[in-house]
Amino acid sequence: MTSIVKISNLDKYFGHLHVLKNISVEIQPREVVCLIGRSGSGKSTLLRCINFLEEPSHGTIEVDGVQVESGGKGKEHRQLIHDVRLKTGMVFQEFNLFPHMSVLENVIEGPVTVKGMEKNKAIALAEENLDSVGLLFKKDEYPNRLSGGQKQRVAIARALTMQPRVMLFDEPTSALDPELIGEVLNVMKKVAKDGMTMLVVTHEMGFAREVADRVLVMSEGEIIEDAKPLELFTNPQDPRTKALIDRYRTGEQ
Amino acid sequence: MNIFANQTPGAPKSQAELLFESHQRKARQFQVNVALSWVTLLAIILFIFSGSHFLGIKTIQLDGNFIRANVGYIAGGIVQTLQISVISITFATILALLAALGRLSTFPPIYALSTFYVSLIRGTPLYLQIFFFFLALPQLGIVPSAFWSGVLPLSLNYGAYMSEIFRAGISSVGKGQREAALALGMTPRQTMQRVVLPQALRFAIPPMGNDFISMTKDSALVSATGFVRELTWRATKVGRATFHNLEALIIAAIFYWIMTILLSFAQSRLEARLSKGDR
Repeated sequence: MTSIVKISNLDKYFGHLHVLKNISVEIQPREVVCLIGRSGSGKSTLLRCINFLEEPSHGTIEVDGVQVESGGKGKEHRQLIHDVRLKTGMVFQEFNLFPHMSVLENVIEGPVTVKGMEKNKAIALAEENLDSVGLLFKKDEYPNRLSGGQKQRVAIARALTMQPRVMLFDEPTSALDPELIGEVLNVMKKVAKDGMTMLVVTHEMGFAREVADRVLVMSEGEIIEDAKPLELFTNPQDPRTKALIDRYRTGEQ
Repeated sequence: MNIFANQTPGAPKSQAELLFESHQRKARQFQVNVALSWVTLLAIILFIFSGSHFLGIKTIQLDGNFIRANVGYIAGGIVQTLQISVISITFATILALLAALGRLSTFPPIYALSTFYVSLIRGTPLYLQIFFFFLALPQLGIVPSAFWSGVLPLSLNYGAYMSEIFRAGISSVGKGQREAALALGMTPRQTMQRVVLPQALRFAIPPMGNDFISMTKDSALVSATGFVRELTWRATKVGRATFHNLEALIIAAIFYWIMTILLSFAQSRLEARLSKGDR
């Protein structure tokens, strides 16, 4: 089976700070991969390098056959980044819905403006996705009238309406009140069940255990463990992983 | 707006609702009191200019015949005043937007051009700029009409000041908004047009409205050229001719004031419409 995301020899520096150290990882189609680690371990940066919100300092990103070398310049390079962004949907910690657009306008913005999709077609697609996150009845509201959980579900619908091959989630529940986390995780489970390839940066160990096919553990810019959740949570190989899991356990109690 | 409007009718009112209603009552009462005070102040001013004798006080007598004869002529200046203001604010807005984008540019010459323009224009008086166009440029063989000698400096001047508003508006749009747009696959240009500028504009509309209102009054400076028949020019002309400056300037002042009140009203309506979906 060929992988849908392939990251090879990725390095990222912020100034002198070496935040990603020679990372290579592959993700298979329909796989759900959770990325865990302490804050500052580089997991968000890794995710943001995949769609070039951060330009990697060195290395190659390949998404669904589109290969981008870091450090490229000019029109061709920008076109490749654009192609990668079309193949990836992203969900942010802070939702980042467009406050001047209604829910429906938020969701059709990408297809209409970026893909040039006919408006009626985009609306039909958007309504389908809003329905699947349970928020079709809010389509004419503005984001400021939604709860955090609802905003994030709209953000997921917005990303899905671009019909990406891979979904990237950057701590999608970290900005939410505890009682709103469940509704977002449920939507994410549904997306996973529908066969979407997902890479999820998260602190939700329950979600990782239940939904992920693989869990990657990051520490100081490196992937220190890559295992199935059951193995990882019951028998962590690296002492740092064990410490991390213990910390979450105490946190959960 | 009643934020509890969509609650079940007949349901007992919650504490928050009762608190909200009591706040609203207080706010309404305050507005009524302010309105009454305004009426009182107006009545005092009208009394001062009524020309009557009251409790031994002799108030100011205005020449009714002069007013009746000239009010129409002076009112005619409103057209020019608005013309100057509307044309100038349009140019100023375009200049301000360009200057603001220039200020955010990472290309040194563009950044320099923008800051140079703002510094030069804000560093010199508007009054001088008007004379520069009207009196200095002709020396170089460029002879703008009195009208354009007013409109161009007003545009340049307000453009420089308003560029700060646009810049602040663009900077107020969070990094997350740009990232969300880029992640959707938008080009930097689409990101600017579809996501950043609409939000920046909403931020900029209230101060822009203030600037437009203040411009209708600064347009009076154009009368200094002596050839543009706007409100102030007409008032000083007929006032000086028969030594009725008091009456003439009061008439002009009232027209400016009414225009300002109407424009402020229009501005608050526009703001209310734009605030939909505000964070």
